[in-house]
Amino acid sequence: MGKKSKGSRKGKKAWRANISTAEIEDFFEKSTKDALSGGSLSALPSDSLFVVDKSQDLSVKRKIEKKRDKVLYCDSVLTKNPFVQAVPSSVNKKSKKKPKEASSVKDIFQEDPKVGMLDLWGDEGEVRSKKTSKKSKPSIIPAVEVEPPGCSFNPSHESHQDVLAQAVAQEMQKVYRKELAPAPVPLTVPGEVISEEDMLFLDADINTDDETNLDEMDQDEDNELEKRPLKMRRVTRVELNKRARHKEKVRKEAEAKKVEGVSKEIDSLPDIIQEIAKEDEERDNRRIRRTIAKQEKLKSCPPRLGKHKFEPAPVQVLLSEEITGSLRKLKGCCTLVRDRYKSLEKRGIIAPTAKSRRK
Amino acid sequence: MVNKVTRKKHYRPPGQKKEGNAARYVTRSQAVKQLQIGLPLFRKLCIYKGVFPREPKKKVKGNHHTYYHLKDISFLHHEPLLEKCREIRAYEKKIKKADAKKNKERANFLIERRPTYLSGLLRIIKERYPKFIDALRDLDDCLSLVHLFAALPAQERLKVEAKRIHECRRLSHEWQAFISRTHKLRKVFISVKGIYYQAEVEGQKITWLAPHALHQILTDDVDLTVILNFMDFYEKLLAHVNKHLFNSINLEYPPILDPRLEALAADFYALLRFFDANTRTSLLNPQTSSSSQFGQVDAEDSELRLAQLQHQLPLNEPTALMHLVEDASGMDEDEDEDTRECKKLFKNMKFFLSREVHRESLLFIIPAFGGMVSWEGDGAPFKESEKTITHQIVDRSTQTHKFLSRDYVQPQWVFDCVNNRIILPTEDYLVGRDPPPHLSPFVDNDAEGYVPDYAVTLNKLKADAKNEILPLPGVGKEDLDDPQKLLDAGVIDRAKAIEAAEMKQKMMALEKEYHDELKLELQGGKYSSAISNVDKQLPDQEKEGGEDTNLPDYQQMAEDTDKLSKVMMSRKKKSLYEAMQIGKRTKKGKIDLLHERKKKHKESHKSQ
Repeated sequence: MGKKSKGSRKGKKAWRANISTAEIEDFFEKSTKDALSGGSLSALPSDSLFVVDKSQDLSVKRKIEKKRDKVLYCDSVLTKNPFVQAVPSSVNKKSKKKPKEASSVKDIFQEDPKVGMLDLWGDEGEVRSKKTSKKSKPSIIPAVEVEPPGCSFNPSHESHQDVLAQAVAQEMQKVYRKELAPAPVPLTVPGEVISEEDMLFLDADINTDDETNLDEMDQDEDNELEKRPLKMRRVTRVELNKRARHKEKVRKEAEAKKVEGVSKEIDSLPDIIQEIAKEDEERDNRRIRRTIAKQEKLKSCPPRLGKHKFEPAPVQVLLSEEITGSLRKLKGCCTLVRDRYKSLEKRGIIAPTAKSRRK
Repeated sequence: MVNKVTRKKHYRPPGQKKEGNAARYVTRSQAVKQLQIGLPLFRKLCIYKGVFPREPKKKVKGNHHTYYHLKDISFLHHEPLLEKCREIRAYEKKIKKADAKKNKERANFLIERRPTYLSGLLRIIKERYPKFIDALRDLDDCLSLVHLFAALPAQERLKVEAKRIHECRRLSHEWQAFISRTHKLRKVFISVKGIYYQAEVEGQKITWLAPHALHQILTDDVDLTVILNFMDFYEKLLAHVNKHLFNSINLEYPPILDPRLEALAADFYALLRFFDANTRTSLLNPQTSSSSQFGQVDAEDSELRLAQLQHQLPLNEPTALMHLVEDASGMDEDEDEDTRECKKLFKNMKFFLSREVHRESLLFIIPAFGGMVSWEGDGAPFKESEKTITHQIVDRSTQTHKFLSRDYVQPQWVFDCVNNRIILPTEDYLVGRDPPPHLSPFVDNDAEGYVPDYAVTLNKLKADAKNEILPLPGVGKEDLDDPQKLLDAGVIDRAKAIEAAEMKQKMMALEKEYHDELKLELQGGKYSSAISNVDKQLPDQEKEGGEDTNLPDYQQMAEDTDKLSKVMMSRKKKSLYEAMQIGKRTKKGKIDLLHERKKKHKESHKSQ
């Protein structure tokens, strides 16, 4: 490893060594690179360098969908295959026909109202043969009940008296019901206020009573225990025999009595038959009465349909002095809305409600 | 819920499956929960669909609940209207939201496109009344409510809108016009409550109640929402019934009315004129009217307008109404006896209503029985001074200015004439007199067993009119002017007739008795079939018994048969029979009471 000898610094060599060739090398490198890549970029116009991307962006949603494009096997199984025919399900003809009909009916009813009303019963001739279900009417009471002749604006005397008597009876019934109803529980009770001291005394009395009672009870129990015989006496054979004989005797006596009773009853058979017949008749009568009462009730008022009872409106009848015979001076009923409402209630179409105060 | 009840009984874990009443009926709150709707909507649906609460034999949840049949509830469940109502509710929420956000534009937009359940209602109407006759059968309630609403005051606070009231008024007038035009009205009864009308359309007796011309009051014990729900349904129903009826007599619906008459609140008259005009056009060219196709609607429409314009010119001429009556008589031949009789009742008579008379009902009734009517006011067909007027209806104590050519009668005369189907003598009904009692035509006097005095005289008059007074329809003025004479003559004749009738009755009774005895002998024990007959005859025979000589024998006989048949009857029949007997007895008791009262009343009058 000896030192490199230093040459003279004045010669050609020294000069050559100090000149850098990097520039030239760089140039060569660059030119070869350009030649390989197809021309230098600086020489090209900027247009060819940069391009505005005009193709549309994929929306976010689509991007997500694209990723989701994969169909799960379980789903793919369920998709409809056009080459496989569906197995006909076991639907009966009735249900097949119905939807068609319904749709046609719907079309009819959804006709534009501006064109003109359609005649609902226009095609009476081709009424569908579908059996019309017979609907049960809520009650036998007619929708519009005609008032009795006494309620006429100019009634004949007898019928008017008749209706008046009815109206009076209704009113009196109300009055009597009010009178006979049990007195309501009073809201306040008359009496003096008990002072606290008295209250203490009251409590004390009760306590003392209890104690004494308890004491007495204890004593009673003690007495009973003492009275009870401690030992059971042994039953002898003689006694047992006696008891058996007695039992037998009693049994025989009872039997004899029974036989006697039966024979007596046989003797009085006609009476018994009569009695039974009487009872039957009575029962029948009761039943008849009940059914009649029920029917009568249904004729005049509805069954109990809810919490509240149906209350009929008062009879609309003129008083004797109000009868003028003139239509102009007639004091007519002005609460016909209530009348219609009561009629609905009476026929059992709506359940009666309590009187509601309108605000 | 299990609604198959026929299944065999087996152990069921508690609360899982039910049977019997518990399975068949549900309470209202349960039903509401099942249907997933609110109570108001449930009530509305029940009304539309005609579902009503039931009374089960065993009330499982207690006596204080309202029960519905489970089938009814499932019936409601399948109702398309239910879905529609839900939609509407959602829509209303949208409007509310827009309003709350002060988005007025959107709110208005939404309000304009608000969905309705009109088509749903129509479907329900068709479903509930598959045939027209079904709708007619159920029309009583509908008509009463519509007539009532036509007379109600509009109260926006209670949701009684003026629009609805006008609609009801129009519908009721259309119905009345149809009835009046086709002479279908049969009975009228004025009670304190209102005026009962009975018409017969297609063989169905339709009764309705129209209120008096009074201010109607809404009381607090009425749930008005219920009534309004009914009204929703009934308005649609009546509109379609009217449409069908109008079409059935070759008229268009809705009718086009003369605006001038409408403005004068004489829409009923306007309707009649419309009828008249239309029948004329149809007479002129029957092809167009008979084939009422949509294509020709426009043409007909314009024609109709023209006709009306023509009619507007001679507005105050009675010719229009004359034509109306004539045309009607010429038009339909396929009408029954009753209609013909009703049509002829007021023929060739002209009525004039004074200012104080309530117009509505009389304007409806008089044309329905073939008369012509006018009133005081603008737009009336003829004036009071018209010479050909035969009757003037007056409802005041005195009439100062009188035309000699006409009778001044109280309105009750018209109603009584209509009910008895004869022209009654006007004497009792003249101005200022107390008219005879107004009897109810809805009472069957024979069935009731009690005949009021005035009914007896009316019956006599009727019999007369049928027998000898054929000239009555064409009665001269002199006869009408002097009804007293007519009455007297009738009374004398009647006395004879009654005697003859009595004789005849006696003979008949004897004959019947004989026949009965024969029957008894022939048939032996077989009476169960003849029971009802025997029943009917019994009271009659008892009454007649007073006159007969060999009475006790017969009564004994009757009793025997009665007992015998009773023994032969089944228990059910027996109970029914006994119930009938009880009913009869009570009825008889009532009649006796009435007779007694009458006697007393007479005695008291005499003593005074």
